[in-house]
Amino acid sequence: MPGMAHPQQHQFNPYSENGGTILAIAGADFTVIAGDTRQSEGYSIQTRYAPKVFRLTDRAVLAVNGFAADGNMFVKKVKQRLEWYRHAHAKDMPLRAIARLIQTMLYAQRFFPYYVYNILGGIEDDGTGAVYSFDPVGSYEREACRAAGAAQSLVQPFLDNQIYFKNQTAAPGQTHPCHLPLPDVLSIVIDSFTSATERHIEVGDGLEMYIVLAKGRTLHGMEGLRGAQELSTQTDGERVFVVRRELKKD
Amino acid sequence: MQYNGGSIVAMVGKDCVAIASDLRLGSQALTVATNFEKIFPVQDRLYLGLTGLASDVATLRERFRFLTNAYTMKESRAITPSAFAHLVSSTLYERRFGPYFIEPVIAGLEFHPAPEGEGKGTWRPYIAGADLIGCLNFAKDFIVAGTAADKLFGVAEGLWEPDMEAEDLFETISQTLMNAVDRDAYSGWGAVVHVITKDKVVTRTLKSRMD
Amino acid sequence: MYNTYPLHNRPQNTPKDAFSEGVQHTQQPIVTGTSILALKYKDGIMLAADNLASYGSLARFKDVSRLRQIGEYTVIGASGDMSDFQYITRELDSVIVDEEVTKQDGYQLGPKEIHEYLANVMYGKRSKMDPLWNSILVGGFRDGERFLAFVDLLGVTYTSPTLATGYGAYIAQPLLRKAVEGKEDTLTEAEAHKILEDCMRVLYYRDARSINKYQIATINASGPSISDPIKLETSWGFAEGIRGYGAQTA
Repeated sequence: MPGMAHPQQHQFNPYSENGGTILAIAGADFTVIAGDTRQSEGYSIQTRYAPKVFRLTDRAVLAVNGFAADGNMFVKKVKQRLEWYRHAHAKDMPLRAIARLIQTMLYAQRFFPYYVYNILGGIEDDGTGAVYSFDPVGSYEREACRAAGAAQSLVQPFLDNQIYFKNQTAAPGQTHPCHLPLPDVLSIVIDSFTSATERHIEVGDGLEMYIVLAKGRTLHGMEGLRGAQELSTQTDGERVFVVRRELKKD
Repeated sequence: MQYNGGSIVAMVGKDCVAIASDLRLGSQALTVATNFEKIFPVQDRLYLGLTGLASDVATLRERFRFLTNAYTMKESRAITPSAFAHLVSSTLYERRFGPYFIEPVIAGLEFHPAPEGEGKGTWRPYIAGADLIGCLNFAKDFIVAGTAADKLFGVAEGLWEPDMEAEDLFETISQTLMNAVDRDAYSGWGAVVHVITKDKVVTRTLKSRMD
Repeated sequence: MYNTYPLHNRPQNTPKDAFSEGVQHTQQPIVTGTSILALKYKDGIMLAADNLASYGSLARFKDVSRLRQIGEYTVIGASGDMSDFQYITRELDSVIVDEEVTKQDGYQLGPKEIHEYLANVMYGKRSKMDPLWNSILVGGFRDGERFLAFVDLLGVTYTSPTLATGYGAYIAQPLLRKAVEGKEDTLTEAEAHKILEDCMRVLYYRDARSINKYQIATINASGPSISDPIKLETSWGFAEGIRGYGAQTA
């Protein structure tokens, strides 16, 4: 019967999607973890500056992308667990242990998940740069590079080409380097985000790049870097820096 | 648009254009052929790429062959890339409410005659794309289409630069296509690249990942 | 010795409420308030809200204040369900009182703390699938620092020099950004007031759930103050010239 109102069940949706993109690349003795700073819902920009990348310890940085409320809550809880670890053991949790901690924390919410893609970057106990990427329910692996978020599909194949040298053949008698130097990595990160900003509406406004250097590594490769700000608590261990850049705001 | 899979990209260089596609033909996730070409010559310096539903690709290839032949006979001259782009657009818009499920990509060189007494003229790069109902997109840099369109956008935006010579353009479009389709389950299984210059068209079949 | 999880935070396996399955949750707003606007200016924060509480399309209560002072440094403004807003203000007031009488340390919660607390309450309720159906702006000034932030029914939070909820996010936020961005530290109180008044007028012209009576809250070094209701001066002469949609099509 037309006009007859059907009884309708209005269901509350506890999730939303807040756009943005994150990215991390591991070097031999450093890691770069980056994210844009736009937060959006649908076609509205909620803010031009909402950080998605967080320093956890002097050697671990976590990037979080997806549903912003879940992301912030998750980071808060990870930081809390790391503080408890510090109080119990009088040292910072090793990177691979943080990775496993994140996996268990995500899987604990298997049936009401944190709607969040995590990328953890930093320095492993053996001094190597490392990137761990996670799905929302805790599947994870260690990788050399990973993009996630709204522009993952734009950035990841570019990284395959520029970091893993996919579809490229080395000159006769030569091989591809297995780790790129820091300046090259930073250029690739900036290019990735300017490209994503150009072609994806949810990416833009600002870029935050965290650089984690292994213990004893010089600042080699950061000489020409404008406005790097140090966040580490000591200078004789691993060191963390943040660099900010503007992205297009349209 | 996801049924058969496939992707196409076209790029502008210095006095040259390139157009490239993968070779996969699928039936959903199942690959049924790895020699399915999606790019067709229209004139000496003009190519048309069609992605989308394979049956519509075949239908429209024949339709545009017929239409360009009719045009050539009626006008007694070759069709220009820009005229052809509008022919594609109006042909697709005829089916506005029951469209062909394809996204066309056009790449060619367009002749621009010189002013009186200043030599013959020049061949300038021309690319265009359209959606399934014929909304034209005249890009100055590159056009992408198909199931790996978002990936192609990302890589092309990172690799492309203005005024590349034919060899550089070939490398750029090949790398763009291969790295994009390697991240797309519905595209890949080999690729073809056409590089169009004033004097010749170089067509190369690329070896790429077959998984 | 190996404990990394403080005892009082251990997950507990106590039985759940036996009747929890039967509990029904409020899942739609009933009496609602429309947009809240806010901006940063030279000496503090300014918020604006009209005085209407609607019942569907009915303009039900026309003298409701949707701006409330919380503690000595903060004002919150709410759109969405007004009963949920009243519950929130009651909760926050009791938190302020509790803090005062139990701690007796003369410390008062500031805008940052109130926003964080509110965000946790909102996120906690959404996680129970029983949300408080509001979008709330928190504005404050303390120790020479301006604070302005957003929180909604999902627990999503963000800060920005200008904020707007509801229709204001579409209609007023672009105007606010144009008027304020880059001028946060130079705008005078009078200029800020004028910007908000102009935005409230545009909203009254275009938002069918608004009314031409509004209040402005100012929070600066001398604390919060909420104005008496202000009548909007409007002129509808321009409406004559509108052609091409609505009832008038020729």
